Amino acid sequence: MSRVHYGTRAVSRLSRRKVLTIAATVGVGASAAGVAGLSLAGEKGGASADDEPLVLSLRDAKKGTFDLFSGGSKVTITDADLAKKLLKAVKR
Amino acid sequence: MSSHREAPEISKDPVADSSDLYAFVSPDNPDTVTLIANYVPLQLPASGPNFFEFGDDVLYEIHVDKNGDGRPDLTYQFRFRTELRNDRTFLYNTGPIESLDSENWNRRQFYSVTRVDEHGKHTVLAEKLPCPPCNVGPLSIPDYDKLAEDAVHKLETGEKVFAGQRADPFFVDLGAIFDLGTLRPFQDKHLVGQKLFNYAGKAVNATDKMNVHSIAIQVPLHMVRKDGKKKVRGRDPGAVVGVWTSASRRQVQVRHGKKNDDVYVGPHVQVSRLGNPLFNEVIVPMAQKDLWNSLPPSEDKRFVEFVEQPELAQLLPVLYPGLFDNLAELNKAKTARADLVAILLTGIPDGLIDDFQNNTGETQADMLRLNTVVPPTKDENAFGILGGDLAGFPNGRRPADDVVSISLRAIAGVTVPLVDEKFKPDDAAAQVEQGLTAKDASSKLLKKFPYLGVPFDGFNNPSGEDDK
Repeated sequence: MSRVHYGTRAVSRLSRRKVLTIAATVGVGASAAGVAGLSLAGEKGGASADDEPLVLSLRDAKKGTFDLFSGGSKVTITDADLAKKLLKAVKR
Repeated sequence: MSSHREAPEISKDPVADSSDLYAFVSPDNPDTVTLIANYVPLQLPASGPNFFEFGDDVLYEIHVDKNGDGRPDLTYQFRFRTELRNDRTFLYNTGPIESLDSENWNRRQFYSVTRVDEHGKHTVLAEKLPCPPCNVGPLSIPDYDKLAEDAVHKLETGEKVFAGQRADPFFVDLGAIFDLGTLRPFQDKHLVGQKLFNYAGKAVNATDKMNVHSIAIQVPLHMVRKDGKKKVRGRDPGAVVGVWTSASRRQVQVRHGKKNDDVYVGPHVQVSRLGNPLFNEVIVPMAQKDLWNSLPPSEDKRFVEFVEQPELAQLLPVLYPGLFDNLAELNKAKTARADLVAILLTGIPDGLIDDFQNNTGETQADMLRLNTVVPPTKDENAFGILGGDLAGFPNGRRPADDVVSISLRAIAGVTVPLVDEKFKPDDAAAQVEQGLTAKDASSKLLKKFPYLGVPFDGFNNPSGEDDK
């Protein structure tokens, strides 16, 4: 796994989470992941279980800056290699 | 309107659109305060097959600031969940609905209530409270009043709650006001209107016979006051609370085409806010309305210039030539409107109005400020404080207060003498009004919680009589 710099909070169990679909856009940020059964309107607060969806949004492709949304929280990570892989996956 | 569709983005998201906020000492239970936040505005009663409901993906909140810093010290959160009984029918109900657990009622909505204290501690007060159905019609719901009464829930912690459809009590001549600022009673004095009319017109209530979805909570007074005091003096800063409502959505939504697969994740982002009626609607410029909706009241200092020099005050002398000359002079001198800053952003300090204050200190924040010591008035004056009724807007807000006319008069200059004794308001400023009262609203208010009237039913509204 490439070197990952985590932002506001450590995401130690990232590899255990199930990222089903990932798409990326440069500059705007768009992405997708999907698992049914999420509680609506934040009923469970900021916490999220391992089987809940995780959404990755590429905010800055050059720097590899991602926003990672999970449960009721957002963290920012930097991973230029991952950004390259994703861009390659969407043929950019 | 007060805040119906008041900003470009939220006008496209009615489920999260706060339309009106009320805060008043309960007339039939004066040891409590009633807070009502209305959402999902402008509902046509005949709206089958998919009747209106709260958003399962929206976090609705009513906030109370106890210490004047523009930040919440007490928040009630409301989260909704919709359940379908029968996935083989297109119908909202398959027979008469005579109880909240009726087997005939296909699409029901439930909610939870969570209290957040000043330390951020969340306490779930109730779960799976049923909302009443929408008022489909007399065949579907033979006794709507009874059904709605059953949807008033008393919580073990002392609060009383209701969430569901109500008749919109707000009255406004929307069509005229946003047609170049016309007030029909003065249409023959209007810059353009005088070319079309040689008579005073009769106002039209544009929100008449429309429904809304209300979230109402009645809270013992000591629970909203600073330090939980049961007894305070009216001059005590702890007598005054600031109230606002907000709606928030998850930052990320991913649609997969099948609802159960949709994903909502990330922190909540505020998309709607409402404190004083009309603040975002007529004070904040259109280019900043969406931004304003996303911010807490503690950030309102950045909008103070629009309160000090309101655009509407500039327009009145132009639209009604010769009627607002003194206001025009005030505008020309670029006098900062300290009266409006007090009313909307800090509260009215002690000493300006006999035996009254609702000041919350120096923080400039748009909140509905209520001095909880002022008792309810038996014979309400729709002009509130301007009409000598200290229990009305801008001391909180009651459903029958004519906030449009009060705001018009204030902006026209009648409240300037509170801060400048030498200023003489124009005669027109004390007469200007939209020409409507609560009596022009077809809905009748209730004398008890949740106070807003029974929603108009779909069978009779619109009725054939309306076309005659």
